[in-house]
Order: sequence, then C-alpha cells, then structure tokens
Amino acid sequence: MGNNDTSRLGAGPLGRRTVLALAATAFGMALGSAAAQAQTLTVWSGYPEMVPFYQRVGESLKGKYPGLQVKVEAIPLREHEKRLALALPSNSAADVIELANSTAQRYIEAGLIKTAPADAAAFVNNAAYFDPFIQKTAAVGGKVYGVPLFRGQGALFYNTDKFAKAGLAEPPKTLADYTEYAKKLTERNAQGVATVSGWSMRLSGGGAGIAEKFWINLFQNGGNLIEEQADGKWATTYASEAGRKTLRQYIDNVHVHKVVTPEMPADADAFQREQTAMFIRESWVIGDIAQKAPNLKFSTALLPRGTIVAPVFFYSPNEGDKARLAWDFAIAANSPENAVWLLDNVGWLPNRKDVDYSAVVAKKPAFKAFVNYPKDYAFFTLPAIAPVEEVLTRLAARLTKAFGDASLAGNDAGIDAVLKEAAAETDTILRRAGLLASK
Amino acid sequence: MSEGLRPTRRQIIVGRLIDAGLILFCLAMLLPLVLLVSNAFKTPPDILRWPPAILPRDPTLDNMRAVLADTPLLRWMWNSVLFALLSTAAILTTSAVTGYVLAKFRSRVLNVVFAIILATAIVPFEVYMIPLFFNVQKLGLLNSTAGLLVGYLVMSFGIFLIRQNVIASIPDELLEAARVDGAGEWWIFWRIVVPLLRGPLGALGVLAFFQAWTAFAWPLIVTTTKESYTVEVGLALFQTGFTVDLGRLSAAATVVLVPTIIVFSLLRRNFVQGVATSGLKD
Amino acid sequence: MTARGRWSFILAALLPTLAIYAWVRLYPIGDVLYLSLHEWNIIAKVRPFVGLENFVELSTDPLFLEALRNTAIIAFGVLLVTIPLAMVLAALIHARTASRLSGFYETAIFLPHVVSLVPAAMAWKWIFDARLGPLNAILSVFGVQPKAWLFDPVLSILCIVVLCAWQALGFAVLIFLVGIKNLPVSLYEAAKLDGAGPVQSFFYVTVPLLKPITLYVSVVTLVAGFNVYGQAFVLASDAQGAPGNLVRVLVLDMLENAFRNYRVGYAAAEAVVLLVVVLVLTAIQFGALRERGRA
Repeated sequence: MGNNDTSRLGAGPLGRRTVLALAATAFGMALGSAAAQAQTLTVWSGYPEMVPFYQRVGESLKGKYPGLQVKVEAIPLREHEKRLALALPSNSAADVIELANSTAQRYIEAGLIKTAPADAAAFVNNAAYFDPFIQKTAAVGGKVYGVPLFRGQGALFYNTDKFAKAGLAEPPKTLADYTEYAKKLTERNAQGVATVSGWSMRLSGGGAGIAEKFWINLFQNGGNLIEEQADGKWATTYASEAGRKTLRQYIDNVHVHKVVTPEMPADADAFQREQTAMFIRESWVIGDIAQKAPNLKFSTALLPRGTIVAPVFFYSPNEGDKARLAWDFAIAANSPENAVWLLDNVGWLPNRKDVDYSAVVAKKPAFKAFVNYPKDYAFFTLPAIAPVEEVLTRLAARLTKAFGDASLAGNDAGIDAVLKEAAAETDTILRRAGLLASK
Repeated sequence: MSEGLRPTRRQIIVGRLIDAGLILFCLAMLLPLVLLVSNAFKTPPDILRWPPAILPRDPTLDNMRAVLADTPLLRWMWNSVLFALLSTAAILTTSAVTGYVLAKFRSRVLNVVFAIILATAIVPFEVYMIPLFFNVQKLGLLNSTAGLLVGYLVMSFGIFLIRQNVIASIPDELLEAARVDGAGEWWIFWRIVVPLLRGPLGALGVLAFFQAWTAFAWPLIVTTTKESYTVEVGLALFQTGFTVDLGRLSAAATVVLVPTIIVFSLLRRNFVQGVATSGLKD
Repeated sequence: MTARGRWSFILAALLPTLAIYAWVRLYPIGDVLYLSLHEWNIIAKVRPFVGLENFVELSTDPLFLEALRNTAIIAFGVLLVTIPLAMVLAALIHARTASRLSGFYETAIFLPHVVSLVPAAMAWKWIFDARLGPLNAILSVFGVQPKAWLFDPVLSILCIVVLCAWQALGFAVLIFLVGIKNLPVSLYEAAKLDGAGPVQSFFYVTVPLLKPITLYVSVVTLVAGFNVYGQAFVLASDAQGAPGNLVRVLVLDMLENAFRNYRVGYAAAEAVVLLVVVLVLTAIQFGALRERGRA
C-alpha cells in the first residue's frame, strides 16, 4: 500500500513531463518539417576517436536538416556496452547506437533494436556498395537491422627503425617467424630484463580483448575458438592441436624467451612510445599514431593466414518517423566523401567498396595491409550469438592466469589441461543458451 | 588526566614528540591530495620528469582550461551537489521524525520497527542495488536526480543516531510539561525536539551529504547519459576511456577536490561535535 | 493528549519512513532473494525458477571464487591496518587535545574519508605508477628495484588495501576519539596510582574499555571492505589495450554478470552470498568481542 503510494508520487512529475514532451512533439509535427529547426540527434559511441567524424556527418546533413545538432556521447567500449544493457530495455537509449553485430544480436532477438526502413535496407543490400559478408552481418533472419559504420580488421604493426637495427628487412611471414623476430627485437638492460618488448602480445587487462587476440593467433594456426556446425549450433574447438600450439607460443614468449611480460607497457600506447617493436591491432592505430607520435617510423603487414573482421553498425531503438533522422544520419555516414574522411582522419576502415581510397592509401601506405590483400587471405568474425561476451570474457580470465603461470613452460600436458578446462566452461555457457552442438 | 597540574619537563618533551609524529603522519595522509593538485598545474614534460617532483616547475593553467572545455565537469558537479543536498534533506527529515518517535514512544510494535531498521543497516546497499535499479527503471526515473535519490532517501544509522541522542539528551519531563500545557505532538516535535537536536542533525547532515557526494556504484548504473552523470561517474569514465593524460585528469580531479576540502574544513567543527555528542557508546 | 491522538501522531510520523523503507530496502532485499532462485536475462518476459542452481554454479565458478577471495583479502587487510592504527592515533590525538594542532590533525586524517573517491584514487594511481610514480622513485633511493604495483596480481590487491585504509582511517579515528573522550577519567587516575605509565594505561584501560566502539568500527569497516568497487574500478581497471591487472571484486563480478552477461538471477545469487558473508562476519564479531570481554 504505502509502497504503491510512494511509487505513484515518484512517477507524478515524470508523467507530467512525458505529457509535455508528447504535446511538444505533436506541436512540432503540426508545424511541419520546415520548422524543424533545432533537431537534436544523440549518438552513443564506444569509440571516443569517432566524435569528430560524427560531427562531420552532422555537418553534411545540414542541407536536409538545417538546425541539426549532433550530440555524441562517447565512453569506453566496455562501459558503452553496459549502458546499452541498462538503457535499451527501459527505452532510454540514444537515437543512434553504435555496436558490433555480435553484441547487437541479443537486443535484436529481444526486439529492442528495430529494423531499418526500406530505403536504408535497400542501401545496405545494394551489391555495388557492400560486400555480401557485410550485408549478411547487417541482417538477422533476413531483415536488415544495421547500417554499416566501419570494420575492425587486424594486421601487424612494426617499428621499421627497430627492425633495421635488428637486421630485419622484411616483416615476419609465419607465426614461428614472429617468435624468432621477437627474440631479436627485444631490448634488454644490463641485468637482462626486457625494456622493449619484441612482440607485444595482449597478456593482461580484463575483458574479452585477450580472448579475441588469442583467437587471431589461433586462426593463424588453422584453428577457431568456436565454430558453427551444420545445424546452426556451435562447437568449442580450441582444445586442439592448434590451441596448444597457440597457447604454447604465448607461454614460451613470456617465460622462456622473455620477449614480453604482462606488466610491460603494451599495445598502441607502447608502440607509439617505442616500447615495443611490433604488435597486432586494427587500422585505427594509424590514425592514432598520426596524432600522438607523428614521427614514428613504422609499417604494417598482412598476418600469415588471415585476420579478424569485426564490423560495427549503426542501430536504432526506434522506428517510423522517430527514427527517420537516425537512418538518414547512418546513410550519410557512408557517403563517399565521409568514407574517405573516416579512413584518412580516424583510421577505422569504411565498408563502402565502390569508393576510391587510393589517395589516402598513397598518402598513408600503412593502410595497404588493410585494403590490399591476396585472394586466399582468410577472414573470421566474432559469432553473432547472445553469450559471445561471456564466452570471451571467461576464456580471457583463464588465459591471463595461464600466461602468468611459469610452470606451463615446456609443459604440454599442463597447457592441454588449461585448454580442456576452459573449453568445458565454454561448453557450459553455450549449453545454457541452447547453442551447443551435439557431438 | 593531569589537567590543572603544571606539566613536567618530561611531559612537555613527550608532547612535542607526539606532535612531531602526528604532523608527519598527517602530512603523509595529505600528500596524495597535494600531489594531485600539483600535477594539475604541471606541463606535459614536467609530468614525465623522473624523479617526480612535488611542485610544478612552471605552473600552467592549460590542463584546467582543456578539461573545462572538453567535459561538462561543472554540470556533473551541479548534479552531484543537487543529489547530495536533496539526499541530505530526505535523510535528516526521516531520521529526525523516526528517531524521535522510536526513542520516546514505547510499544512492542515500535521495537519491531526499530529492529527491522537496524537489521537493514547491516545489509550492504550493493546487495539489493540491482533490484532497486529495476524498480527505478520501471518508474522511468533513470538518468534523473529523482532516480539517484531513490537509493539515498533513508539512512538506518541516522535513525539510530537520533534515537540515541533523544534518549540521552531530551528528558521525558520536558515533553510531559509541554503536553500538560496543551501542546500538540507535532508542535512539540518541531519547537522543542528539533531545536535540541541541532548538533546531531548537523553531524548527520554532513555525513549524509558526503555519503551521496561520494556515491559511485549506484550512480554508475542509474545514469547513462553524459548530462546526468554525477561527478564521480563522469570522472571515472573520463579517466578509463578518454585520455591517459595525467595533467588533465589531475586538473579535473582538482576542480572537484578543492570545493570538497573547503566545505569540509568549514563544517568540520560541526561534524566532530555532532559525532562527539552522539552517545555512540551505547 | 489522548492515547488516540498520540497514536495518530506516531502513525503520521512513521508511515512515510516505513513506506520508504518498504520500497527502497525491504522490497529490493526480498527481490534479491527471489531472483537468486530464478533465471532472468533482463530482457525476457519469463523468469524460470531454477531452485538452488545458481548457488551450485557459483560454488565452482572460478571468477566468482577469485572475486570472493580478493574481496575478503581486501576487507580483512583494511580492517587489520585500520583498527590498530586508528586506535593509536586517536589516543595520541587525545593526548594532545590541548594542542593548537588538534584541529589540523582531525581535518588531515578525516579528509580522505570525504573527498570524492575517484579523484583520490586517481592520485594513488599515479603514486603507484610503475614508470612515473613517486613510490618507485622513493624506493629507488633505498636501492629497491622498481615494482609494477598495479600489474602484479598480489601487489595490485595490496594497493587497493592501502587506498581503502587511507580512506577508512579518518572515520575510525574520529569514532575512537569520541569514545576515548567519553571514558571515565577516574579509571586513568586509578591506573596511575597503581604505577601504570601512559603506554600501560593505553593497553590496560583504553583498549578494553573501547571494546563496544571497536566492535562498531570493525563492523562498519569490514562491511565497507566487502563492498569495495569504486577503488578497484579506478585503480585496477582495464582501459582498452593498456596493460593492467583487473582486480576482480565481488561487486564488480556481480555487475558484470547482471549487465554484461545478462544473468540477473545469477548476480542476485552472488548478492545473497555477499549478504550471508556480511551477516556471518557481523555475528562473529559480536560474539568474539563479547567473549573477550567476559574473559
């Protein structure tokens, strides 16, 4: 009783606000779109470096929406994904949200992300604009939900000065080369402790990233973390020969060759400060280096077998007129000018294939390893299944522990045990979601 | 212990030694904050200098300017202040009324009520935070001060504190005398009880204010838009995602810290006295 | 005033508070218990009953067990540092009550308790920084090799303990100070007559007499320790790509399960475990202090 009273009290002012908002909307519509002067579009992003791009896309829409205000709220990716979990079910998310299709899957299944209108769907399905792979990932159950934004694609970044100093002219070709190179590239102090890592591997930090990077290496060895089966369900496939080889290389590099340790500065940050000689990362690093370390001498190279492609899409929690501006925005982001600007200034890879990027690639040859690749170069992507995050996060926690475990050096039985236990956990998660393929 | 007697030479020396030790310790306690404020005024090369210096070499306001331009820091502070003030008001009101009733009216029902209130005090907020979140979500109060407040309307310790104070410092005879004079219960409460509770209410107010001001986990899930962040959430997200630029982070932190320190220094006496008279020994 | 008048006052005075309690405390606590026996993914309309399955799974979940262990180490670490230190500091400050500096002491020690958590944690993050931090700089003066404080799984927990103790200390000192001020002077005079010096009277008079206060402060400190989250979030979180050892604590694991893995029932089961731990610890502390008092 008291309970209900209080809740009604709490809801009172809000109810009034909603009514006012509705009235205002109705009034706005009555005046017609000509008077829609000060429209605001809110974009939620998990990539702070995308902010200037969105502002630019907003500018390019000024012809159609003269008073358009684009409000971008960018926070770290993990927190971005969390706020979507909090906000989407209560219908309080932004007009446009930016999300990997694998993460969006769950919300699409629950009807919290709405289908794209006919024109946006036609745009996405235009074979002249996008690859079938992108078109497939934009849709669920044959319906288009997302408009492509960019794709994350991995390649090797290496410091050419450090390579020259170590007498290495060419980038490594096989994963075994990577270790040999790393041994030569590691710089050590008088006590023999590594001060510059030969190959910065993702060893620490919470979250799915560690498992994702592990998958990239595993893929070079011909393996995958999980694979879709004929019945549309999934099998855990990393407790295998390829898995052992991959984990062993990590452990050997940390504990035997000591070319990298968990506490060394890592990733793009370390690469820019010349604290690591090479690492595998997506193309945005090129834009980041241009900003933070413009004098760094570096190049990029294809990975031995192939790489990860993680497409990110625009989605909208709204439909109908309310979402009109959002979809116009998403389509405008894919205009040839904006696509070229994105590649040139941010460094994430746009997906439009009918656009000429050669000027940017000529100016920044590091993009070659991302846009020019041989026919047999293989790609994989994160599976679009609801529990993908949990699978990766839990595997990542086990991997972090294994990377720090010196007793696994030269201990294949131990490595197998780690993988087997982790795979059993992955199976459990898949089974709970009804996604585990029967063996 | 030996007040009134003239301190011996030895006592004076021991006192000086204790002072020296305490001063050193207090400076160590303050050092992290001093370093933070100092970093806010360092230039980028100054921050990277090794070994690190306590004071900036050539102080700059660039970090401060950049932070105020890049983030709605002042908006976040306003959100926090509003949230903390409203929370304080709610906690003071509920604690004063409830604490008084539980202290001065005897009945088995009231004992049960008091027991329930004490029992929930032991349950950490984090335990029931998630259901409370869904509660706020259902009411459509996410991203609002009202939503933030839901978690901070009552404080079991506050009720306890006021109850103990009423028992210790307000004699029954005083209330009875007023009743005999024909005063109503609400009149007695407002005109006699509340004025006598000024000290403990002041202390509780400071406690409640800072409790809300430093809240973190709750605002982190209740607010998802930039405009609605409290200063703690805004800063935390700013520091994990946007920049590893220590100068700017420190500048943002300083903007938040300095008013806190000033406010607390002004209220300290009030606070300490309040707690001191609170009869915590029961 | 009639009895009925009095009761109508009691009702009018208490009902709002009770309603709030029911709404923001009792109902959510009940809901946690309910959810912990169910499975719910935030989005779905149905919440199937799963009995104790969530708890069974928790008992073998390595991430949860790690979180529980880390949280326990942090909570007890903070308790062990804070209580003795706070008691000594309170006694020393009390001894210098007459000093003009006593206000400064109180402010300096209490300030960390009220400054915003995130800025304070940022300050400590810099102090612990492996490459630029003052801590390694000071240690290197003594010939100690620089340590990667925030990356080592053991050291990073230690760092969180230091940060939490730094924050918790002020509150404990203040409460102890109040307690000491309220102790009867006659007992100290008696101790003095028996030939006890200040150190002896601290151990034989102050410490035993402060028992109820110690109980209260320990419970508060320990419970706060078990709820540690913000400190770990700032100090040992993982910015994308930057190295860092994520110190998994209970609240973090709980929020991750609820809002990243979409398993609200499972997270609720974790919350229930947290509740049980806190209740048991509180009960043990009450028991222990009562026992010692009798002996």
